[in-house]
Amino acid sequence: MRTDRNRLLSAYAVVVYIFLFLPIVILIIFSFNADRRNFNWTGFTLNWYPTLFSNRLILGALGVTLQVAAIAVFASVVLGTFLGLGLARIGRRWRGPLEVLLLLPMVTPEIVMGISLLLFFATLFGGQGSFTQIAIAHITFCVSYVAVIVRARAIGLDPHLEEAGRDLGASAWGTFRHVTMPLLAPAIAAGGMIAFALSFDDLVITSFNAGVGSSTLPLYIYSKIRFGVTPEINAVSTLIVAITGVAIFIAWRLGTFSSSEGRLVAEDG
Amino acid sequence: MLGRRLGIGPLILPGAVWLALFFLVPLAFIAAVSFGTHDRFGRVLFDALTLDNYRRAFAPTFIPTISRSIYYAGMTTILSIAIGYPVAFWISRYGGRNKALLLILVMLPFWTSYLIRTYAWMIILRDNGVVNSILHGLGITGEPIILLNTDLAVILGMTYGFLPFAILPLFVSIDRLDEALVSAARDLYANGRSAFIHVILPLTMPGIIAASLLTFIPAIGDYVTPDLLGGAQTTTVAKVVQTLFLSGRDWPQGSALGFILMAVTIIGTFAAVRSLRAEVLS
Amino acid sequence: MTNDYDGSKVDLERFLVRYLAEERMTRRQLLQRISVVGAAVALAPIIAACATGGASATPATSSAPPTVGPTVGPTVSTVPTATPEPTPLPTPEAELHIWNYADYMGEGVIPSFEKKYKVKVSTDFFDTYEGMYARVTAGQTGYDITFPASTDIPGLVTIGKIQPLDLSLIPNRVNLGAEWANPGYDPGNTHSMPYMWWTTGVAYDTARIKETPTSWTALWDARWSGHIAMLDDQREAFAAALIQLKFSANTVDEAQLDQALTLLKQQHPLVRIYSVEDQTYMAGGDIWIGHAWGSDIYTVQQKKPSVEFYIPEEGSVRGSDAAVILDGAKSPVAANLFINHLLDAHVSAENSNYIGYMGPNEAARQFISKDLLDTPWINPDKAIVAKLQELLDLGLDLDKYSTRWTELKAGI
Repeated sequence: MRTDRNRLLSAYAVVVYIFLFLPIVILIIFSFNADRRNFNWTGFTLNWYPTLFSNRLILGALGVTLQVAAIAVFASVVLGTFLGLGLARIGRRWRGPLEVLLLLPMVTPEIVMGISLLLFFATLFGGQGSFTQIAIAHITFCVSYVAVIVRARAIGLDPHLEEAGRDLGASAWGTFRHVTMPLLAPAIAAGGMIAFALSFDDLVITSFNAGVGSSTLPLYIYSKIRFGVTPEINAVSTLIVAITGVAIFIAWRLGTFSSSEGRLVAEDG
Repeated sequence: MLGRRLGIGPLILPGAVWLALFFLVPLAFIAAVSFGTHDRFGRVLFDALTLDNYRRAFAPTFIPTISRSIYYAGMTTILSIAIGYPVAFWISRYGGRNKALLLILVMLPFWTSYLIRTYAWMIILRDNGVVNSILHGLGITGEPIILLNTDLAVILGMTYGFLPFAILPLFVSIDRLDEALVSAARDLYANGRSAFIHVILPLTMPGIIAASLLTFIPAIGDYVTPDLLGGAQTTTVAKVVQTLFLSGRDWPQGSALGFILMAVTIIGTFAAVRSLRAEVLS
Repeated sequence: MTNDYDGSKVDLERFLVRYLAEERMTRRQLLQRISVVGAAVALAPIIAACATGGASATPATSSAPPTVGPTVGPTVSTVPTATPEPTPLPTPEAELHIWNYADYMGEGVIPSFEKKYKVKVSTDFFDTYEGMYARVTAGQTGYDITFPASTDIPGLVTIGKIQPLDLSLIPNRVNLGAEWANPGYDPGNTHSMPYMWWTTGVAYDTARIKETPTSWTALWDARWSGHIAMLDDQREAFAAALIQLKFSANTVDEAQLDQALTLLKQQHPLVRIYSVEDQTYMAGGDIWIGHAWGSDIYTVQQKKPSVEFYIPEEGSVRGSDAAVILDGAKSPVAANLFINHLLDAHVSAENSNYIGYMGPNEAARQFISKDLLDTPWINPDKAIVAKLQELLDLGLDLDKYSTRWTELKAGI
């Protein structure tokens, strides 16, 4: 009976994964579509890939997007982890207002946040839109997501573990590095992955903070809708998935993901 | 305890300061705008501060869109968590050495362009799309069923988009569960279902709450999915706010409606989370 | 130009400019010529005595106008047109930054400009027009040139977001058609040069709709319920209703607007989507009949010939946009030169042929593809143009449309 339940659950999980990847399969297939508008399948062609590599605008936009995402992920993970951890520990007095502060960015409609930053940068700094503005904006909306996830994990952490670390002579930073962080690792990783997805795809907030030479991939893509988003976009997405997939596969083969206990982190009591 | 006392301040300070500077201050600008009026060029005027924008935000025209947004967000949250929980559970229990890999695979589809993923859904759902072609080929339907640009398409698209936002925090919480605890629960209760409801579910509550927050809150403000997959009858409040700012060139009205939306969402979320906690933990 | 020479007085300055233009000389070359000729006159006796050839400088031709041919349609023989060099030629800055719709400019236009003036041009694309407008009104954007709708230009000028053009650098403006040379929204073209113009109407798929509608009412036909699209543009949608009701598309009369709202609400349950992506939805197949912009449908037709378009018999809307130089532009000289470049007959034709829109450029007509010129909704005759209204700036009365539009969309 146990085995049946396992099988059922496994089958279910596979179905969900198929659901998750279904649009991606279509996306990849249509990167070989001959139709420039890419709405109906008219024939097979490999042309879009070489075209992609000679398209300076797309490549430039992709570069900006990836750089912004890297910065956003790093900074929001750092800020968000500490924020989430602190929020899990903080006393009742400050918890309420801090939770609200944390949730507010997620609650804010994107256009409100985008225009608020536009006004902020334009009025106070004479900002005209720039890479820096985009990066700051992305960090700002990513922090909350990381913090919420880390907090959920940190809430259940046994504080005795950290105390034990301190008792054994570790410094505050040492304790954090060797005790707390490993315990939080899945949450930090999850937060980072979500932050990357959010930053990579952001449109509205970026459109109000981008400037000359700092166009991102979503901005480029959405601007193309009017006359047709060519399969080049499918090609660039396919390549990203492919490269990431290969990197993941290699890391997996190297055993980077496994741990000896089959768990991502140590037991916590 | 002293160590812990010293720890909190520096922990939250960087994040809190960042949010205060780059979120609250800009938001204060918008708050100021919400009390202003606009001139004929779409610029904001502050000479005659007014509550009119807020008053108008409660007009009958906006209420249906707010409730529609709440409906979409609610359905999306329930579906995402319902669909995602078993997957998170499966990864945690049976993922073994490959847990991280399986999680990354959950996120991988979302490191592509959102628009192209949505176009793929349009290709699947449109009148001459994959679904209708299959139905027609199997002889089930004569005329294509209208799937795209409906409530169904919106909820499907939103659920798809937020599924990882549910699975990841759920996993983080489920993965913490002690194996021994789960086995003990199974022994205590006659069947697995009771063990789940009385032990596992409450223990993973923080994860469920996190998943709800990460799904419901952004879903209410989701503008793009209902815009692309939805149609004439699926207007959301996020779209209305967008329209007010852009084609209406009425930043004050847009700001006021935006704030009302935020207030409703926060209050609603706290109320829901509190009652959810109380119900499950009782 | 609008002023004709009537012989009453001679404007020496303007005469010189025209002379230099026609002779394709720079001022320096003229002075050279004069000095040489003057010297020759002075030295004539001596030279005559020496019996060597006279020193007559051959007028050096400035670089030929860029040869960019049409990319769509039959090739046309190049009839020389007056595309004179700006004189004197100030040094353009090193870079130029343009902010435009994607795919809204011929592919050779920028390279030919870059080659001619040694300016590095970068283009960024905005995802929505209104987003661009919001950024421009909110502050500096770092761009030199952008393309606002003509209705927005008077307002942008008033609030100082557009700087005046340096018309001495834009001699190609003589190419503009009569009605574009002094438009109501920008008298004398002091702040803008028209770029493209278009008509609004109804597109339908002849494969799905086996009749030939001619009226706005076809968009209200219940037989096509679930397959109708309307433009997600409050002015355009209201115009469709107002024109049917025989009101002005620019009315601010609330009673009239209420009637229009009622008409739109009757249509609402039949509408599948409100969207500005008319090319996408007419090419897609889910939409059988849609409110659309003519030039976009021309592009759709190239790939999907079953799509037809008509300007409704009750009348419709026309619009246009223009190239402007933003206040605070860092490269005003290059910007002016680029705008001049856009008005070059060949360049304007290339743009029209590439994007399927009609330009304001009379001199360009001879280079525009015949197919485009034969399309009645892109190149309408006077009778149809008379039925087209321009959407004018309504100022604060826009709110009257906004509130009703929100009500319509909310679906109450």
